[in-house]
Amino acid sequence: MALAQGAVATVLLSLAGIAVGVPAGLVFALIRWAKIPILAQIVAAYVSVIRATPLVTLVLLIFFALPGIGIPVDPIPAAIISLSLNTAAFNCEIWRSALNDFPKAQVEAAEATGMSPVVAFRYIIFPQIWRISLPALVNEITLLIKNSPAVAIVGVVDITRAAVRIGAQTYDPLPPFLIATVMYAVIVFVFVKAQASIETAMTRKFDF
Amino acid sequence: MLQEFSIVLDHKDRLLIGLGNTVWIATISTILSTVIGAALAMALMSRHVMLRRAVRVFIDAMRCVPFLLLAYIVYYGLPSLGVRFDNLSAGIASLSLYNAAYMGEILRGAWVSLPKEYAEAGEAYGFHGFKLFHRIIMPSLVLAAVPVLGNQVIQIVKDTAFLTIIAVPELTHEASAIQSMYYVPFGAFVAAIALYWLICRMVEFVVQYTEHLADLRR
Amino acid sequence: MTAEPHLAHRAAPASTERPVIEVRSLWKKFGDLPVLNDISLNVERGKTICVLGPSGSGKSTFLRCLNWLEKPDHGEIFLSGKRIGYREGSDIPMSAKEIAVTRARIGMVFQHFNLWPHLTVLGNIIAAPLHVQHRNRAEIVAEAEALLRKVGLFEKRDVYPAKLSGGQKQRVAIARALAMRPELLLFDEATSALDPELVGEVITVMEDLAKEGMTMVVVTHEMHFAREAADEILFLDRGFVVEHAPPAQFFDNPSSDRVKQFLQRFVR
Repeated sequence: MALAQGAVATVLLSLAGIAVGVPAGLVFALIRWAKIPILAQIVAAYVSVIRATPLVTLVLLIFFALPGIGIPVDPIPAAIISLSLNTAAFNCEIWRSALNDFPKAQVEAAEATGMSPVVAFRYIIFPQIWRISLPALVNEITLLIKNSPAVAIVGVVDITRAAVRIGAQTYDPLPPFLIATVMYAVIVFVFVKAQASIETAMTRKFDF
Repeated sequence: MLQEFSIVLDHKDRLLIGLGNTVWIATISTILSTVIGAALAMALMSRHVMLRRAVRVFIDAMRCVPFLLLAYIVYYGLPSLGVRFDNLSAGIASLSLYNAAYMGEILRGAWVSLPKEYAEAGEAYGFHGFKLFHRIIMPSLVLAAVPVLGNQVIQIVKDTAFLTIIAVPELTHEASAIQSMYYVPFGAFVAAIALYWLICRMVEFVVQYTEHLADLRR
Repeated sequence: MTAEPHLAHRAAPASTERPVIEVRSLWKKFGDLPVLNDISLNVERGKTICVLGPSGSGKSTFLRCLNWLEKPDHGEIFLSGKRIGYREGSDIPMSAKEIAVTRARIGMVFQHFNLWPHLTVLGNIIAAPLHVQHRNRAEIVAEAEALLRKVGLFEKRDVYPAKLSGGQKQRVAIARALAMRPELLLFDEATSALDPELVGEVITVMEDLAKEGMTMVVVTHEMHFAREAADEILFLDRGFVVEHAPPAQFFDNPSSDRVKQFLQRFVR
């Protein structure tokens, strides 16, 4: 039962991280792609630091340091902020590589028909790059899920933490750990499977 | 905020001890996971179907489990099967085992895309079996996979931070200790993150340098 | 080739008497390499200008300046009397959005078609009228279908570009440009990437457009098209205008040796 609640927490926290991190990553990637001065450098520095920062350390920083600068934060918001900050940096790199690889000729064709950069992005570029980025984004999602137990350090009870608690109560930690393992496998499998079926549907539709 | 940093600077010894522990734990785990990963890659490429399947199941299982859960299984779970580790060896064992699965997959990927001529040329000169792998295939694999391997090493460095939860005195653990003693959360964790960043830049530098050397020899 | 969609208004005289395109002394360098040196050209409404020249002569760059895909270093371009690239009466560069408004009035057909692979044939044609001009969808679809009939591809309306041959792709690209009801059409070596047996179908469409009074600037290597369909030939070499003449004079009695040399390669 506690494990089921932990599973809900893990899924919801990951979904929250994805919901913030994937679009934020796209915005960061666009800032770098458009080479907006200063902002682009800030994003580059942010990505470089986050890629080197363990999630545990990031959660600790957010949870303990934010109150210090006058922003009180509960464990769950701290967890969501950390997961989002973390995954946004990796998503930024995924979107950025899709943008950099996007055929310039197609952008020119859009420009030549009088599309403004915003219109061209909305109707020509984005519908194609999300599809190209999807496998990498889902891979990053599975990494995020596997990283999510880090939030237990500030007291959020996710699958891993729930398994530890049960093990401590029953003095037999292996069974809850094995059930937890299966739970993670199922969650990861659902995402990978969803990505594969979107991929198949898309291939059928566009035939390439 | 500046005050926080000066307090952290006063206790830099602890932070540096943590840094040292993180570095050597990551180094040992990198070496062990590469060796185990190479063995897994060999098994994945072997002719024995059963061996291939067994290793595949192991790798897929490892890639489903969060690292922290594996660390818990090794530290808290295995004693009930009679295998007992202290926290440090539990940490190193789980880091090595976990990342070996990823290393195995990386090396297998590089192996598959390796031009056949390497192995054939090796065979033509009388290399075979383990010697062929050890002398001819492995060096070309590592060289081809250096950037991806570098990413995995960075992953190992970051995974070491999880070990604070089983009280291994690594960098995040020491930063945590400093922060809880003097309430300097900002200074302590930003200092720790800066040090992690330095380690990762070093790893990236080594990767670039290796690629540069490989280019020169090509 | 039955329905003749909305070409009439293009041939009608505009409120201004000025040419559709006026180019005044255009200069452009890529780094240290001069690619356009003092090029001037007027294109009157309903005329077809063919730009010829050896590869590397600057003709594609010249064409791409006309819709500001390349920014010239010096010189001015006027579209129906309005200066392109700068705000009215000033030297302040237009924003990306303002340039887009200008480009919407100029159609362009590329060497490599540049169709958008995620949209069907119809989707490619209606995208810009829908999202740039914000015209009524039903009206655009009807017009797009008429254009597809005109280029002989109505039955391909729901197919994705990946399934089309090169010649078919290029005819769709022409329909896409026409759907914007442009005042001017630019062709950038529209047949150079096609297999020889597919060139004819695209040339036929281009010849029809010329006859119907579309204003066009065509960069091409098709000498037959230039001779039959062009009103004027502009010959560029190393970024200079070497000859600017009606086709009869250009092909039969060119004044420069450089042109004679160039034409000899096409004599069969």
